[in-house]
Amino acid sequence: MELLGLPLTQLATIFAVAGGAVVVLYILKLRRRRVLVPFTRLWDRVLADRPTSSLFSKLKRLLSLLIQLALLALIVAALGDPRPAGAARSGRSLVVLVDGSASMKAVDVLHGRSHAAREALRRLVREMGPADRMLVAQMDAEVTALSPMTDDPAALESAVSAYAPRDTGLDFARALRFAQDATRGNPSPEVVVIGDGAFGEARDSDGEVRLQGAPLRFVPVGVRGRNVAITAFAVRRYPLDKSRYEVLVELRSFSDRPEEVELTLSADGAPIEVTRVTLPPGGSSQRVLPDLSGASQQMEARIAFAGGGHDDLPADDRAYATLPERRRARVLVSTPGNRYLEAALLLDEYLDVVQVPPAEAAARLRSARFDVAIFDGPAVAVPTGVGAIYLRPEGADLPVEADAGFVNATAGSAIGFTRVDRHHPLMRFTNDLDETHIGRIVRYRPRPEDRVLGQSAQGPLLIAGERGGDRFVLLSFDVRESDLPLLISWPVLLVNAIDWFAGEDPAYLSSFRTGETWRIPVPAGLDRATVETPSGRRVSVPVVEGRAAYFGTEAGFHRVHAGEQHSVVAGNLSDLGESRCAPQHTLTLSGQRATAPVAGRAGVRREWWPYLLLVALLVIAIEWATYHRRVTV
Amino acid sequence: MGWLDRLRGTKRAEAPASTELFDEEFQRRLDYLAVVSRRLFAGRMRAERKTKKSGSGIEFADHRDYVPGDDLRYLDWALYGRTGRLLLKLFEEEEDLAIYILLDCSRSMGFGRPSKFDHARRLAAALAYVGLTNLDRVGIVAFSSTVSARLPPGRGRGRIFKVFEFLRSLQPSGETAIAEAARSFAAENKRRGVAILLSDLYDPAGFERGINAVRYQRFEPMVVQLVDPREADPGERGDLTLEDVETGDKREVTLSPDLVARYRAAHASWREEIAGFCKNRQVPFVAADVNGAFEDQVLELFRRTGVVG
Repeated sequence: MELLGLPLTQLATIFAVAGGAVVVLYILKLRRRRVLVPFTRLWDRVLADRPTSSLFSKLKRLLSLLIQLALLALIVAALGDPRPAGAARSGRSLVVLVDGSASMKAVDVLHGRSHAAREALRRLVREMGPADRMLVAQMDAEVTALSPMTDDPAALESAVSAYAPRDTGLDFARALRFAQDATRGNPSPEVVVIGDGAFGEARDSDGEVRLQGAPLRFVPVGVRGRNVAITAFAVRRYPLDKSRYEVLVELRSFSDRPEEVELTLSADGAPIEVTRVTLPPGGSSQRVLPDLSGASQQMEARIAFAGGGHDDLPADDRAYATLPERRRARVLVSTPGNRYLEAALLLDEYLDVVQVPPAEAAARLRSARFDVAIFDGPAVAVPTGVGAIYLRPEGADLPVEADAGFVNATAGSAIGFTRVDRHHPLMRFTNDLDETHIGRIVRYRPRPEDRVLGQSAQGPLLIAGERGGDRFVLLSFDVRESDLPLLISWPVLLVNAIDWFAGEDPAYLSSFRTGETWRIPVPAGLDRATVETPSGRRVSVPVVEGRAAYFGTEAGFHRVHAGEQHSVVAGNLSDLGESRCAPQHTLTLSGQRATAPVAGRAGVRREWWPYLLLVALLVIAIEWATYHRRVTV
Repeated sequence: MGWLDRLRGTKRAEAPASTELFDEEFQRRLDYLAVVSRRLFAGRMRAERKTKKSGSGIEFADHRDYVPGDDLRYLDWALYGRTGRLLLKLFEEEEDLAIYILLDCSRSMGFGRPSKFDHARRLAAALAYVGLTNLDRVGIVAFSSTVSARLPPGRGRGRIFKVFEFLRSLQPSGETAIAEAARSFAAENKRRGVAILLSDLYDPAGFERGINAVRYQRFEPMVVQLVDPREADPGERGDLTLEDVETGDKREVTLSPDLVARYRAAHASWREEIAGFCKNRQVPFVAADVNGAFEDQVLELFRRTGVVG
C-alpha cells in the first residue's frame, strides 16, 4: 500500500495531535448532572455491586474512547489516500490533445465535429484504467491545458465541457512540444490526438517534432470536407480620393466538384453587391469591386450555395473588414507661391488648406489650431501637436542642421533617389520615386534617431523623424528644381505624410488574421485597452508603442475601447489549412503511424478513501444508535 | 351547596380564601366520604367506645373477685346470696376514642409534583373529618426528626376548619426520624388511642424502628405510606450525581436502563417489605398513591381496620 495523499509523517502528526486531544477530553473528569432523589439509601441497595458495574461502566467509556480513536484513524487514513502497492506506477500517463482549430467547427457529422470530439474524449475518460491519469489540452494556434494530470473523473469531465474550438489555425508542432513536456517524467506516457487530422507538418524552428518514448494514438473525427471559403477579403480607400474605396474578395473551393456560390457584400449590414460565382473543383476566384463609395465602415462578405444551404465549414463562409474613419485635417501652407504644391493638396478633399506668405506663418500658427504645417522655403518654429513638412527649408528653427550652400547636379553626377526605404508608411505607392531628377539640393545632417527615407549619392533627400513627440518630413530640394511634381509619387508622398501626422496609418489593415497577435493602433499615452469580442467577451490587453496587443481567436468585428476612443477592428480566419477541412483518417509522425487508443483495464478504481469514510460513517451510526439506546452511557 | 358552605354562613368573610388544597370540590368529596363511611360501618361508626371499667358505666359487663379496697357499692349481693362468693360487678364505661394523625413533614414528602405532602394533607383532612363526624377526638401531630407542630385533640365537626388551617400552615422541612418523633409524641399525649402514621417512610434509621416506636408506646398504629410511582425511575440516563433531598448525601452513578430496572425492582421490594412488616405485626397498612383518589384510600383504610368509629 502507498499513500497518494498526505505523507505518512504528516498523517502521524495529525493523528497524534487529534488523538491526544480526544484522550485528554476523555481523561477530564466528567461533569455529572445533578439529580435530586427522595431517598439515596434505597439506591445503595442497587449500588451494592458497584465495583462490578463501575468497572463495566469504565469499560464502556473505554469502548467509547476506542470508537472515537477508530473514527479518527479512519478519517486520517482517508486523508492519506491509500492505494494498493504499485497501483499508481502501473497506470498510464495520457496526454490528450484535442483539435480546437476552426476546421473542428465543421458540421459534416451529426452535431458537428466538436461534439464528436467531446464524445471521443468522454469515451477515453470512461475507458481509463484504475491507475491511469490523464491531462487534456486543446490545441489550436495556442495550446491550452484544460485539466491537470489527474485521475479525477470530475476534473476530466470539466475539461471536456471546457473544450470549444476557436476561429484559428492549428500549430501542431507546438502542441506536440507541449505533449512532450507534459509526459516527461511520468510513467507509461501516451499521447492521444483527437481531431480531423488536417494538422499540417509537425515542424518548427527546431526541426521536426518527435515524441520520444510516448506512443502516439489518434482518434479521427469527421467524414468529408465539401467546402468553399472566403480566403481573402480586404478593403482600402483610394489614397488620393479617400471618399471612395475598393474591395478585394478571394474565393476558393475545396470541393471535388464544381460549386456555384452566391457572394453577398454588405456595408454596415446593408447589402451593396450580390454576385454568383462558379468555382471548378479546387479552383479559386478573385474579385475586385472598385470605386465603391459611402460612409460605411464595417464591411462583410458572405457566401452561400446558390441552390441554398451551406457547406461543411460555415466558419470561413463569412469575412469581415473595416474602413478607416476619415476626418478633415487643417493644413497651413507657408509659401510664397507654389502651384505644384497647391495642386497636389487639392487632390485630397479631406484637407482644409490655409495658404499664407512665410512672413505670416508664425502669427497664424499661434492664432489658429492646425494639424500640419508645410514650409515651402523659410520655416518657423511649430507649436506642439503640429506635424511639419519642410520643402528645402531655411531659417533658424529647423529640426536638422544644414550645410551652407547647394550641391548641384552635374553632367557626370546626377542627383536622384539611389536608395528608398520602402518599409516606411510614407513610401507606400511611391514606386516611381527613383525616377526623380533633381537640379540641386541642400545637404542636411539628420540626427541618429531620424530616418533617411530617400538617399542620393550627394546626400539625404527625404528625412523623417520626431521632435518633442511631433513628426516631421523634410525634402532637401525644391520640388520646382526637380521633375518630382510630374510623377505620381509627389501628391502621394504629400498625402502619405499628412496621413502619417494625423495618425492615419497608410499601412492600415482592414482586417486581422485570427491566431495571431493583433497590434491595434490606439491613442498615445495609454497603458491598457479593452477588446470586446464578437461573442461579448471583454479582454483587457496591454498597449505597447501605441498599439494594443491582442491575440485574436474569433472572427468578426471587435470593439476596441482605448481611453475615450472607441474603434472597431475585424478578424478573419483566412487560413487555407483550416478551410481545407477534409478529414484525414490516419496520422503519421516521423514515419510512425498513430494507432487507435487502447482502453485501460476495466474495474473499479482502487481508491480506498471512500470506503474508509463509509466505515467511519458506519461507526458513527453505530455510536449514535448505541448512545440513543443508552447502551454506551 | 355542601354543609361546609352552610356552616360557613356569616363567617364566610372571615374564612380564609379557599386554597387549591382544600377547595370546594375537596369539601364536597369529604361530604360524600362521610356519608359512605357511615353506610359502610353502620352501627360501628359511633363516637363511643366501651371499656370494661367498674364504676361510671350503666351497662353490666362482667364480674370479678372482690379485693380489699374495692368500692362496696359494686358488690353483687344477689350473687353472694346464691353462691356465697364476693364478686364485684363490672360495667362498660363509654369513653371517646382519641385519633392521632401523625403527618410526616420531612423534605422528602415535598418531592415530586403533585407532592406526597399535599396528598398526605388531604388524607389527613379526610381522616380528621370522618373522625370528627363520628364525634371522636382528633389531633394532628406534624413531625420530621421531631414533633414540629401539633393540633391538640378536639371533637366536633366545626373543628374541621381548624384542621384545614393547621394543615395549610405546614411546610415540608427537615429530615425524617419517625422513632424520635413517636417518642416525643407519646410523651406529650398520655391518652392512648389510634395513631395514623402518614409518611413515605423514607427514614434513614429504618421504617421498622419508626412503626415499632408507635406500637411500643401502646398506641394502635395504622400506617399509610405515601407513594409516588415516579420515584421508582428518576427519568434521567447517563452519568449522574444523585443527591438526597433531605440529607444532601450524594451518589455518583452511571444510570443505564439495566440499573434503572434494578432500582425499580429494589423499590418494589422495599414497599413489599413494609407491607409485610405491618401485616406480620397486625398493623393496618395502606399504600396511598399520590395519583389516586384520597377518598378511596381512606375507605380502604377503614376496610382494613374497622377501628375508626
